[in-house]
Amino acid sequence: MEVLLGITGRDFTLIAASKAAMRGATILKASDDKTRQLNKHTLMAFMGEAGDTVQFAEYIQANAQLYSMRNETDLSPSALAHFVRGELASSLRSRKPYNVNLLLGGVDPITHKPSLYWLDYLAALAPLPYAAHGYAQYYCLSILDKHHHPDISLEQGIKLLTLCIDELKRRLPVDFKGMVVKAVTKDGIVDIEFDDDKVVKSA
Amino acid sequence: MSSPFSINGGACVAMVGKDCVAIACDLRLGLQALTVSNNFPKIFQYGDNVFLGLTGLATDLSTVSDLFRYKVNMYRLREERNIAPKTFANLPFICGFDSIGCIDFAADFIVSGTATDQLYGMCESLWEPNLAPEDLFETISQALMSAVDRDALSGWGAYVYIIEKDKVTKRLLKGRQD
Amino acid sequence: MDTLVARYSRPAYHENEDFSEEERQGLVDSVPSLSLKFAMPPVAHPSAWLRAATDDRSNPSCPIKIAHGTTTLAFRFQGGIIVATDSRATAGNWIASQTVKKVIEINSDLLGTMAGGAADCQYWLAWLGMQCRLHELRHKRRISVAAASKILANLVYQYKGMGLSMGTMCAGVTKEEGPALYYIDSDGTRLAGNLFCVGSGQTFAYGVLDAEYRYDLSVEDALELGSRSILAATHRDAYSGGFINLYHVKESGWEKHGFSDTNPIFWKTKLEKGEFSNVTSDLSERV
Repeated sequence: MEVLLGITGRDFTLIAASKAAMRGATILKASDDKTRQLNKHTLMAFMGEAGDTVQFAEYIQANAQLYSMRNETDLSPSALAHFVRGELASSLRSRKPYNVNLLLGGVDPITHKPSLYWLDYLAALAPLPYAAHGYAQYYCLSILDKHHHPDISLEQGIKLLTLCIDELKRRLPVDFKGMVVKAVTKDGIVDIEFDDDKVVKSA
Repeated sequence: MSSPFSINGGACVAMVGKDCVAIACDLRLGLQALTVSNNFPKIFQYGDNVFLGLTGLATDLSTVSDLFRYKVNMYRLREERNIAPKTFANLPFICGFDSIGCIDFAADFIVSGTATDQLYGMCESLWEPNLAPEDLFETISQALMSAVDRDALSGWGAYVYIIEKDKVTKRLLKGRQD
Repeated sequence: MDTLVARYSRPAYHENEDFSEEERQGLVDSVPSLSLKFAMPPVAHPSAWLRAATDDRSNPSCPIKIAHGTTTLAFRFQGGIIVATDSRATAGNWIASQTVKKVIEINSDLLGTMAGGAADCQYWLAWLGMQCRLHELRHKRRISVAAASKILANLVYQYKGMGLSMGTMCAGVTKEEGPALYYIDSDGTRLAGNLFCVGSGQTFAYGVLDAEYRYDLSVEDALELGSRSILAATHRDAYSGGFINLYHVKESGWEKHGFSDTNPIFWKTKLEKGEFSNVTSDLSERV
């Protein structure tokens, strides 16, 4: 039961991923980071089949960095999202497809507009103001439908994220060991301190 | 239930009028029952008056529409002119393809997507020959909206393009959001 | 031969037709059996046959399609209980109806909700209404919600494994219990609780409801929250939609608060409150 969440706001994109690395009925690690930085202002979070996830993410990360080195300029979040989709789409019809779901968050280096891309393992791509993967979609999208506005501040964004994560703690039958939270802004990617020890009471 | 044609949902319809054609699509992108996006258009433009509507697996919509855009752009660079074959240029014309490439030339309407049964019913009853652009807009909109209202996997708004000899009008239909 | 015929045939008409002692006992028997007799399909294993004919997951072209998609919710608060549902019935991806009544008025005090098989819920909740009435006649007082829900839970448990499909909530307010809410499903689960959502859209409703639920909600806020939670579910769940059916249960009985189309409510919510920012309402607007 992995959790990925993404929220855009006025001048940032928040990406959050659960910290638990699970195999069967075991939590192998409780401080896993399911995100990779693609360039200064683009971050990708991933979940899916063990092995595929990190392999695919780091393949994308390496290619994004190679592009930046060769061309002395970064690809925009939109360009990266379409590149990732292309890789995932060709993998889908290969002998051994990657089984990875992704969220790609970024801030455009020129226009400074925040963006968020939702990609599933079938390589469907959708630009969205807020998105989630896994069971989080079923609990959090309705919360975000109600409480999200496009021009929220980072502080309001973190509050909104807390609202979503509280609901997951309340209703998901498995402990996902808290969240890694990162914010993409025009100045780069910042780690956000997030209180994982909060106890949520059920109604 | 998990046929690739009905995982993401979606509906498209095209109609012939008098000196005009219309094409319309819904806006839903879903994962089975879950609606992921309400802003996923399925019509792509390839010239001043060439439009393609696609339904099926979302990944293939993107792949096919991107590939066509690439090919059309290459054509334009190579030929130094828009892709406007004689048949496309002046003749209002629609046709459909199934997923293995069989062409369906139609003189009236073409439908595709998860709401095809409903769309056939609506088009058969609403469409008539020689509709003027405004009437064609009304007809195609009614047909699409009524059809997707009876399909769980499509809807959530729609885009309608009315293509005339010298202009194209795009309209957003605010459909039911359930 | 004549004796055989006499034994197995009855005259079509008796002048002073009377009931046998056994039949008379049956009529006056004050506690009828919970288990009723049904005509069974003439096959070797009726429950397996039913499963094969209705399971659209393993066989999309199964001959009997049971309506599964639904969102229903009920929650307890200081002013009683709010019960709300959507109204869509689907058979596969086909929307069979947008005007289904998924709140079942068991009697003037008790409400039941409908998720899973529509026929199962309608039939057994109507039957529960009959049991509640019999209880009143026998004991000269209203049945408690706890007892009513247990009658239903015991009944569905008797039929466990035979293909019943229902997820229901029983809501009522009595002097002894206050607002009482029970969840009962065809597995035989029966739970008392403050807040339940049932159906394919349950998670979406839980999301909105949990975020703002408090026991001391005002009646007005509670009705709005119930309605908004169903709206959220109809928006995201393809198999929920249509109309919002809203009820408020009080000690004096239940009160209906409308059967309202989601479409105008959705656009009002979006345009006036700025919610649902994911939905396009302007041609020039792009994500």
